[in-house]
Amino acid sequence: MNAVTEVVSAPFFARGELLEGHDVVHRSRDLGVHFAAPRIDLDRVVQPRTEVPPLLDVPLAQIIDFLVETGQRMTDPNNPFMQSCIERMSRTHVLPRRVLESQVRGAAAYLDERLLNTVVERNFPDPKALDEWVPHQDYTGRRSFVRAFAPRLVHVLPGNSPGVAVKSIAQGAMVKAINLFKMSSSDPFTTVAILQTMADIDPRHPIVKSMSAVYWRGGDTSVERALYRPQYFDKIVAWGGGEAINNVVQYLGPGLQLVSFDPKTSISVVGKEAFASDETLHTVVDLASADVMVLNQEACVASRFIYVEGGHDTADRFCARLHERIVERAATSGDARPLDLELREQIESMMLMSDEYRIWGRADGRGCVIRSDEPVEFHPINKTANVVCVASLDEAVKYVNVATQTVGFYPFNRMATYRDRLASGGAQRIVRLGEAGPSTIGNPHDAMYPLHRFVHWMAHEDGRVP
Amino acid sequence: MVAAAERLTRLVDAEDRYDIPARELREAQLEAFNERLQERIGQIKLVAHRAREAGITAVRCFEDVVRLLLPHTAYKSYPESWLMGKRWDRLSKWLDTVSTYRVPVDKVAEADDVDDWIGRLAGEGFLVSCSSGTTGKSAMLVASRRDMEWCKTEAVAAYAWGSGVKPAQDRRIFGMAAVAHVARNLATGEAYVAALQDPSYARFAYPVPPITVGGLTRMVVLRKAIAEGTAKPGDIAAFEEISAARQKAVDEAVGITARAVVEARRSKLHVTGLWAGLHAVASAVREMGYSAKDFHPENSIYVGGGLKRARLPDDYREFVYETFNIRPERNYQNYSMQELHSGMPRCRGGGRYHVPPWVVPLILDKGGDHLLPSVAGEYEGRAAFFDLSLDGRWGGVISGDKISIDFSPCACGNRGPSIRDNIVRYADLEGDDKIGCAGTVDAYVRGVT
Repeated sequence: MNAVTEVVSAPFFARGELLEGHDVVHRSRDLGVHFAAPRIDLDRVVQPRTEVPPLLDVPLAQIIDFLVETGQRMTDPNNPFMQSCIERMSRTHVLPRRVLESQVRGAAAYLDERLLNTVVERNFPDPKALDEWVPHQDYTGRRSFVRAFAPRLVHVLPGNSPGVAVKSIAQGAMVKAINLFKMSSSDPFTTVAILQTMADIDPRHPIVKSMSAVYWRGGDTSVERALYRPQYFDKIVAWGGGEAINNVVQYLGPGLQLVSFDPKTSISVVGKEAFASDETLHTVVDLASADVMVLNQEACVASRFIYVEGGHDTADRFCARLHERIVERAATSGDARPLDLELREQIESMMLMSDEYRIWGRADGRGCVIRSDEPVEFHPINKTANVVCVASLDEAVKYVNVATQTVGFYPFNRMATYRDRLASGGAQRIVRLGEAGPSTIGNPHDAMYPLHRFVHWMAHEDGRVP
Repeated sequence: MVAAAERLTRLVDAEDRYDIPARELREAQLEAFNERLQERIGQIKLVAHRAREAGITAVRCFEDVVRLLLPHTAYKSYPESWLMGKRWDRLSKWLDTVSTYRVPVDKVAEADDVDDWIGRLAGEGFLVSCSSGTTGKSAMLVASRRDMEWCKTEAVAAYAWGSGVKPAQDRRIFGMAAVAHVARNLATGEAYVAALQDPSYARFAYPVPPITVGGLTRMVVLRKAIAEGTAKPGDIAAFEEISAARQKAVDEAVGITARAVVEARRSKLHVTGLWAGLHAVASAVREMGYSAKDFHPENSIYVGGGLKRARLPDDYREFVYETFNIRPERNYQNYSMQELHSGMPRCRGGGRYHVPPWVVPLILDKGGDHLLPSVAGEYEGRAAFFDLSLDGRWGGVISGDKISIDFSPCACGNRGPSIRDNIVRYADLEGDDKIGCAGTVDAYVRGVT
């Protein structure tokens, strides 16, 4: 099969209906594969403000039931939508097929009744506000009702994790929003496949009527200038940074706000305790390698810089073992994607500066560890870890910045000593080393409770108590 | 017998140098490449490393050559923290990995600042030119004194071929842009003056101080400090103030330059600069009431680089030509890059850039990994070249440019390879659809200009 000329079909979804068509051929950024999509009918993906959102009067409990059923159908091996999705996605995605399959399965796990209820309860002091106008009276005797009113959201989805599609659909449904999902070129399939699965359960369900998913090339002004307006949407929920966000930012203004999930870098911090014994070292390195290799280092929670307390000799023992583990994990997942030219060049020129750097492995895409005294200036990606020697963990803290998301920490008993300084530097999560992936259900993300920010907080003032 | 590389570079003086079909050069070019490889493999560490990785000790075909090219980013692979931290010892050691000759680290390590470091290196025979990374890193390209002599010869020869102007010291040169104060620009500037400038006039001095490497890198260093969170608001404000002062000088230079060029209008002129500056001066000249009819009919022009993000009216080129009375054949264009020491002048007959015999064009796939099979007629790909003239560093570079090349004869009659005038950077073609949750602190640094 010729990946360059093959065209994969990517239908859209508009408020319950599947839109098929090959009007426009787009290119996926990473593999140079083309996909054909229908022209976007802008009017169909926007619901006039004169109509109240379809989900408004559907109780949250029913919405959650529907989501749970969707999750069950997603993992059904006979679900033709998901099967076809994985098939097409594996041709346009940077991650290997096996990783994608398990991701889709893992993503469905988010659609669990207890989990979804917990998310809502942690995001809203009183989740009842989603279902009804909650009465409240202040100390002066003024009365009012407050509602977490259903918003109109555009979700600008990332392309590096299909799980985000599931999460975004669930969150959009739970706040009863009218949702437009702007898919990414490296995954223009998953969102539509999930929505098709939902429509298969009940094509007329208000959830289905509240969802649209389309693709346009990020920055396409013919679409964005028309759609990104407060008359149509309240919030743009966007992932990513750089150009992707700069595009969106120009459309913000009164009535149209940004909820951004910012691009993040995650790190690990390893104290001298890791070297207490060979056995401990092996355990700690294994934990560190797990964090490096989350989603094969494509995710924001995946560690890229590992600050190790100790000198070169100590750190080198850590590096050698870490390299072995990364190579093993890469091989197990069948991932041998080559490094891009620029990264390869950076690493190769470091190999020549042995006073400053030591490299384990090669820039061949099978896994590579670089030891240095300061963090390298490029973004370690694609199975590349940078181990930075620090005299003490206090020194590691100065490398935390506003882009730092997760800090994996060892030993666990020193975490409390460092968390204030990490937060002050800009970090958002501190976790036990090896646990960058999982998080406590309902915890804040990107330093906020997102659902709380999605909704349109509406007050109904009801005068004063007589 | 004269070595192949020597035979090919000597063609710089040959009238018919662009008229030699590529197939007739193949063998000599491979031989010359092997000569260079044998010399440099023991000298340039990065080349030795690359050869070792590729398991190549001698090449038999151009496919082998491709494996020994360095991407243009190789000259940016130093950590900026060394520039910031004034770690001249480390930067010198890094420079040594891409240099043919051993960089005397101890003699330059104590420099006060980057300009001093570059000055000290120049004193030792290591001439470093920097590219102006507008937002990103500057490339640092080391060259030898011999390279500078070559640049002087080659630049003027290419200009004479491309413009049809026979250098006769009968023009007045009007530079209308602040040129980066780096070794290579100084050398070629000097050569143009020696070849073209009428000695009975003083050379026009563009009234804006030249941009030093320190000036070029100041912004880069500040960006990094912002990213790290160490820059204070006062640092940013101070930088913006310097930028504003410089912009004011550039704005004021327009009027001064326009008045000077109008005064010199009866002389034969050679105008150079960047489009934005040329357009501004041309507008001022028009406002003063002068245009083509007032200028000498044999005026010539050389414009370096593209638009560099300047916003100009659609007809900016014509406007400039018509103002200074530049006839189409006197409009010299040249395709080159900082990493090469030879240019590819545009012909007047076919409007294509011609590759000289001592520059080996290698057209690669987009990823820059493989040589594309050569086909009849024109085809496009990523430009890579091996410039056999280079002495102080490796001549093989993979560029960021997408070009269309044709190895068959050009409409102008010359039979050497030629490149269409539609060169674009791959970086400018890429979409901005790249969204992921993983990213760097770069996204958090608002532009400093």
